[in-house]
Amino acid sequence: MEKQRAKPAINYRRRRSYMEFLYILPFLLLVGLFSYFPLYGWVYAFHDYRPPFPISSETFVGFKWFTYVFSNRVRANDVLRVLRNTFAMSGISLLFSWFPMVFAVFLNEIKCRPYQKFVQTVTTLPNFISWVLVYSIAFNVFGSFGAVNSVMMDMGWITKPISFMKSSEHIWFKMWLWLTWKNAGWAAIMYLAAIAGIDEQMIEAAKVDGATRMQIIWNITIPSILPTYFVIVMLNIASFLSNGMEQYYVFQNDFNRDFIEVLDLYVYNYATSGTGNYPLSTALSMLKSIVSVILLAGANGFSKLVRGEGFI
Amino acid sequence: MKRFLSALLICCMLLSMGIFSAVAEEAPLTIDIYDAAANYHGVQIGWFAKVVKDRFNIELNIIAPQVAGNDLYATRAEEGNLGDIIIVDKKDFSDLLTAGLVRDISDKLPECENIMRFKTQIDVYNQGLTGQEGVYYGIPSEMTDTSPTTLTDDVIYSSPMLRWDLYSQIGRPEIKDLDGLLDVLAQIHEIHPKNAEGDPAYPFTLWRDWDGNDNMIGIANVVQLTTWYGEKIKQSAILKPDNTFIKIYDRDGAYYKITKWLNKAYQMGLVDPESGEQDWNSVMNKLQTGRADLMWYSWETGFWNSVDRLSDGTAFIFIPVGDQLYYADADRYYGSDRMFGIGSKVEGEKYDRIMAFLDWYAGPEGVTFQHAGIEGLNYTVGEDGKFVPFHDDALMNNLPVPEEYGGGGYNDGNNAINQWIVSSICVNPLTGERYAIKFWQSYKDMTMTEMKREWQERFGAEDPVDYMKKNGQLLASPSVDFTPASDTNDIAPIRVDVNKQLCTYTWQLIFCETDEDFEALWDKMVEKMDGFGYEQLYEYDVAIYQAEVDAKVAAAQ
Repeated sequence: MEKQRAKPAINYRRRRSYMEFLYILPFLLLVGLFSYFPLYGWVYAFHDYRPPFPISSETFVGFKWFTYVFSNRVRANDVLRVLRNTFAMSGISLLFSWFPMVFAVFLNEIKCRPYQKFVQTVTTLPNFISWVLVYSIAFNVFGSFGAVNSVMMDMGWITKPISFMKSSEHIWFKMWLWLTWKNAGWAAIMYLAAIAGIDEQMIEAAKVDGATRMQIIWNITIPSILPTYFVIVMLNIASFLSNGMEQYYVFQNDFNRDFIEVLDLYVYNYATSGTGNYPLSTALSMLKSIVSVILLAGANGFSKLVRGEGFI
Repeated sequence: MKRFLSALLICCMLLSMGIFSAVAEEAPLTIDIYDAAANYHGVQIGWFAKVVKDRFNIELNIIAPQVAGNDLYATRAEEGNLGDIIIVDKKDFSDLLTAGLVRDISDKLPECENIMRFKTQIDVYNQGLTGQEGVYYGIPSEMTDTSPTTLTDDVIYSSPMLRWDLYSQIGRPEIKDLDGLLDVLAQIHEIHPKNAEGDPAYPFTLWRDWDGNDNMIGIANVVQLTTWYGEKIKQSAILKPDNTFIKIYDRDGAYYKITKWLNKAYQMGLVDPESGEQDWNSVMNKLQTGRADLMWYSWETGFWNSVDRLSDGTAFIFIPVGDQLYYADADRYYGSDRMFGIGSKVEGEKYDRIMAFLDWYAGPEGVTFQHAGIEGLNYTVGEDGKFVPFHDDALMNNLPVPEEYGGGGYNDGNNAINQWIVSSICVNPLTGERYAIKFWQSYKDMTMTEMKREWQERFGAEDPVDYMKKNGQLLASPSVDFTPASDTNDIAPIRVDVNKQLCTYTWQLIFCETDEDFEALWDKMVEKMDGFGYEQLYEYDVAIYQAEVDAKVAAAQ
């Protein structure tokens, strides 16, 4: 009797778990298709591939292209230079990653609603402008015949235009400024949502206890949105090496390239300029993925150590 | 019943009419053209689309790696089908043949009368490719009907050109060398600091987005000017007038000479400060609005010179510099660097129709459309049957095309294939004159202005090429059939790195504040290029291009 009763229960559970698996199947397929299937392209790093010739067992060269990167001092230094730029610019972004959070906190403090909405809209809008357009804005404002130079020349402050675009001075910081101008408003949205989720009672209680505005921010608002901040920092670390190439691609020129070329741009330049070299580009981007995984694991371990919990 | 029968009859009639008309017209066909020359990606539109549609019921789908990215080449080759018609560089064409992506066209090509007018050249190329006689794969582009050593043009590809009115205002001085040219440009800059709209004008306005292209490393603006001293850059090497090679960074070479000269111009304040940060589109705009006082490509004048400006003397024209020796390619008898081929997947009726289209494309009617435009819009036919230019600004100003010719803008609907089988230098059997407008007697009469007469009087020659010939300043390089090997994977990254170093440093060199800085930076550049394996690249390139030099020497004799 016992056995007979138990059987349908197991069947039912099994069928249910099977049904539940079907729910996530489409997403698994998508992940497989768009995240794992492209990894097949990694095979090109192990071949002497050159279009239009297909790869075959004869073109297999093993780790040739991985060792090639470090085959001579000048080339190794060049890769180090690119890594330096990547780390520096990602590092600056990471260092200032609290900026959108603070911006959101202060934005939230604006009591005049229409003005608050106005500021938010104005700061969010640049996120929807492509980097190419951002560059043309930069060119028109800071170019040799741009608005800034024209004004200064007309005022008689300078006799010769200043080449802002052609200078590599403070280029990392300038790049961060452009990035922030474009992204800060957009990044603040996440924090604004987190702030909206804070229990109103806590704030009211603090007010009753006589807390000042700054004290409320410091003791309630910021601690409440800190978990959100950590998740975002975490995501930033994972993409530490892939800080996007569009921005640097449009801003690069022969005067600032030494300092602006990041890993993604470097790989792109190899693959597409002249006859190009696909295996070498693939090998470089594989190295990038490996370093990213190490960084992520490191950050996760650090988080476990400090906060007692990881993210993965 | 009666009604049913009559309905059936009508149906049959309609059906048969449909079938007959379909047979008469041929079914619509879209052909994919993989086109390394195209600057437009997508289906051909406008008047040229109508021309092709009316004659062949064919739509041209242009696949342009220059627009959509070079990755197209790798991905389409991987799929095993590059396109129905394939237009690629010669070196790629050899690779495509090895990879089995182009079709043998030996059966149909001999029937193409128009294309086979260039049988000599086609035979030479294909025999070089396969080593067999009568086997055809590729059709060279822009072949001429002259000879490998003729120079038909009256203006060469690159030479110094100044605005005649400005040059006249400073007294038409004789120019001995590059320093003399700088002096003249400085004087011109003084009397013409701004254009008519009040925007600043400069003798030199340089752009950076063409750097490292066209089988040459280094920045495009410097590379082009080296031809003023008879030197031609072949990838990483410089070919001297005595047919020997030297390294591109050699201080005896013209690359150094021109870079140094541009730096001197910069130190004199003659270089547009936007050089190095602007792209070609911005420069084009400046040329059109009179913000550049020096031009060096023959086609650049097309952005400024017009019949009106030739009449009032404000057009650009060649001004000789005493110590220069101008390198020019002779007529491209054996064709340019690109090839036409048919994709290996093309079969049956499609193959027949594509070959018919190509033969028309190389025939008098097709070539007239490509080089002269539409009758009644771009030219009229005179009583003697010869063409007379009409609306010669159609391309420049994108003039509206009447609906009967397909509508739209003229430039928008222009032939997007952007590569011809027949050069515009060839003689049009319909008129007995060459295809290109500048050779028509009617055009010559229209543009024989006071300015040209003054020029002829000042320099004692008919035209620029005549002047160069009379003064022994022309070095015409004969046309040969030559296909360079494409880079191996070991050479490709070296080329990328060396080119990047050379371009980066050259720009910085042009903007050096002192001569000491210049020399120090040059040394640093040489060191960097050597570090990236320049020596190996140079030897590789010289080995390849020595074959071309040998062929040219043989052709000249």
